[in-house]
Amino acid sequence: MIWDYVCRCVGFAGVVIFITSALTPVPHFLDKWTAPRSEIEPSDAIVVLGASASAGGILSPESILRTDRGIALYGQGLAPLLVFLGGGKEGGPTEADGRAAFARLQGIPSSAILTETTARTTREEAIRVKALLQPKAVRSILLVTNSAHLHKARPLFERAGFEVHAVPSDIYVDPGKPEERLALMRGLSEEFVGWVYYWIAGYL
Amino acid sequence: MRAIFISTLVVLTSVGAYFFGIRRLRLTGRTFGIALGKMLESVGITLIFMVVNLVAAVATVLAMRSLTTTFVSIYVTDDVVWVGLSLLQGLTFQWWRELSVKPRYSGQ
Repeated sequence: MIWDYVCRCVGFAGVVIFITSALTPVPHFLDKWTAPRSEIEPSDAIVVLGASASAGGILSPESILRTDRGIALYGQGLAPLLVFLGGGKEGGPTEADGRAAFARLQGIPSSAILTETTARTTREEAIRVKALLQPKAVRSILLVTNSAHLHKARPLFERAGFEVHAVPSDIYVDPGKPEERLALMRGLSEEFVGWVYYWIAGYL
Repeated sequence: MRAIFISTLVVLTSVGAYFFGIRRLRLTGRTFGIALGKMLESVGITLIFMVVNLVAAVATVLAMRSLTTTFVSIYVTDDVVWVGLSLLQGLTFQWWRELSVKPRYSGQ
């Protein structure tokens, strides 16, 4: 029966993809192959894209990772402005404000920090950052987010008129752990689907 | 190293289960091939359910965004629980089909 045959073919493909993802280094090769190169050079501003925070304002690990990367870039004197993005939940403290407070604790002066708390998608982030930085004559930016997200974020910020220097904020993933390989593959697949959606919608 | 350890162990327990089935439970080698096919069918139907669920979830999120003022992040679809729930749906559907095609399982 054709239905059984289709199910078996889909099942076979699923099993092959699962075993390849979990038990071989293929996800790491894919990640290395697709990851954008870090382009660290002096720019007009550092833009740290939003990740997530709890309703109480506690930053997620991904958010802290990006924030740390942004602070390190500022510490190296690569840009005079540090822009943090990220909204809040249920009227609570915003992610961007939490990041700004964290940066001030690290010795970054308040005058160098800008926040944007209303954007809800990467596309909206590009539009809002354009509105925020255009009056300050910012042309070039160091764009901080994870590698997989950069594929979608970079063209959006370029479209907004910025000269973008990508700065991936990735962490080390143990290539020997099947669980981490699966998580890596999942992350790559999600961002690929997101990129396809943005491409179909004409945002890229 | 961990991947090799896990895969070796799973191969060993699978071989053990095969011989246990043949010698103790008197299962036949011929039906083992059919069982593998059924396993692939179950995985396939689970994946089909997962794709249907995710497409429905994304469509719902996009519809809510366009039809209401409520903003729902597309990342609500990002959850490993879809796999487990799709597995339950897939196995139930698969067994439903099996029992409908082969009435001898009905217990009558």
